[in-house]
Amino acid sequence: MLAIDDSADVLRLLEVRLRNEDIELITATNPIDGMRIAAERQPALILLDLAMPVMDGFEALRLLKNDPRTVHIPVIVVSGSDDTDDKVAGFNLGAIDYVCKPFNMPELRARMRSALRIHALMHMLSQRAQIDGLTGLWNRAHFDRRLTEEVAARARTGKPFTLTLCDLDNFKSLNDTHGHPAGDAVLQQFAKLLTSMLRKQDIACRYGGEEFAIILRDTTAEQATHLLERIRESLESLRWPKHPERNVTGSFGVCDNPAGDAKDPAAWIESADRALYEAKRAGRNRVVISTAPPPTAEFRRAG
Amino acid sequence: MPAPNTPSHPVRSEFADDPDMADLVEMFVSEMPDRIGALETCLREQRLGDLQTLAHQLKGAGAGYGFEPVSLIAGRLEASLKTNAELDAINAEVNELIDICRRLTP
Repeated sequence: MLAIDDSADVLRLLEVRLRNEDIELITATNPIDGMRIAAERQPALILLDLAMPVMDGFEALRLLKNDPRTVHIPVIVVSGSDDTDDKVAGFNLGAIDYVCKPFNMPELRARMRSALRIHALMHMLSQRAQIDGLTGLWNRAHFDRRLTEEVAARARTGKPFTLTLCDLDNFKSLNDTHGHPAGDAVLQQFAKLLTSMLRKQDIACRYGGEEFAIILRDTTAEQATHLLERIRESLESLRWPKHPERNVTGSFGVCDNPAGDAKDPAAWIESADRALYEAKRAGRNRVVISTAPPPTAEFRRAG
Repeated sequence: MPAPNTPSHPVRSEFADDPDMADLVEMFVSEMPDRIGALETCLREQRLGDLQTLAHQLKGAGAGYGFEPVSLIAGRLEASLKTNAELDAINAEVNELIDICRRLTP
């Protein structure tokens, strides 16, 4: 937790009063330091004073809520003013609560717990809204956002990443022959396989239907191929209770340097999709790296 | 709580018996001469803006250290300064605040 207050008396008081709680308290005596610490240390909660020299608390609150690194951190205004206009202004700027000084410590503690509870629920809801219900993987909306972020980060830092589009082979025929519950079981099992074989920093998403998108961070296409080959083999060797006679395979299209504008997420999708298409045309159940940029004639011949 | 208006009657912190708070209250009280000096200087030089800041800080901290009368009197003074009350009234309130600050004891 971070407390931003120009009064050393108040900060010392908080330090002692919160010593017995399971809370690590960081303090800042001015909003400039406070905002920097908030962005760096990512506290679960900020207590913010209003009347401070250099920059008042309202301005600090506005900046905190305009910075993508701190916008999600709940802020309780702790102010010497019990003026209704100040309270309204605080809430309008995005404060989660407003406590008047001198504060009563049990009440402040209760309000802090309440703010943390609400924040945890909001976090859970926003996560749920980005998770695919059937497979538990990230959904398309989350993927779109993350791909945009990764593309921007690559342009900024030059760190490589790899985008893979993967499609389960002949999935429609499996659904038609064995029914949708069998198809759903395949999607879920494959999602589990992906989750178990990918690293923590990788991002696996259900792109739609039987198509999956995988972002492998800090990874070139060549490095990615080793991992994807193992995933492909593991999928192929899975046995299915509902259709033991029929195994499931997948095709993978891999891209770490798209044809066209590398700063455009759509170019990445296009290149990975083209590689996936090549994998399908070459007989499915394989991993194909997109060659960038492919001469059109050669692409036609391969297709 | 001790009667706040008895002259020279010491005002003890409500948290005097709280072991967590003892050191803190002692530090708060030991810093009082500096604050009283600042209040006197600001009053003498009629620096009303600085007076308001001092009053604001004492209001915010006083009760937290177990000295509720400090918060009450400082809060009244802050309000008077904010609303540009008569100088006589402000003088009286500053003196009342100085008086109680002098009587604080851990």
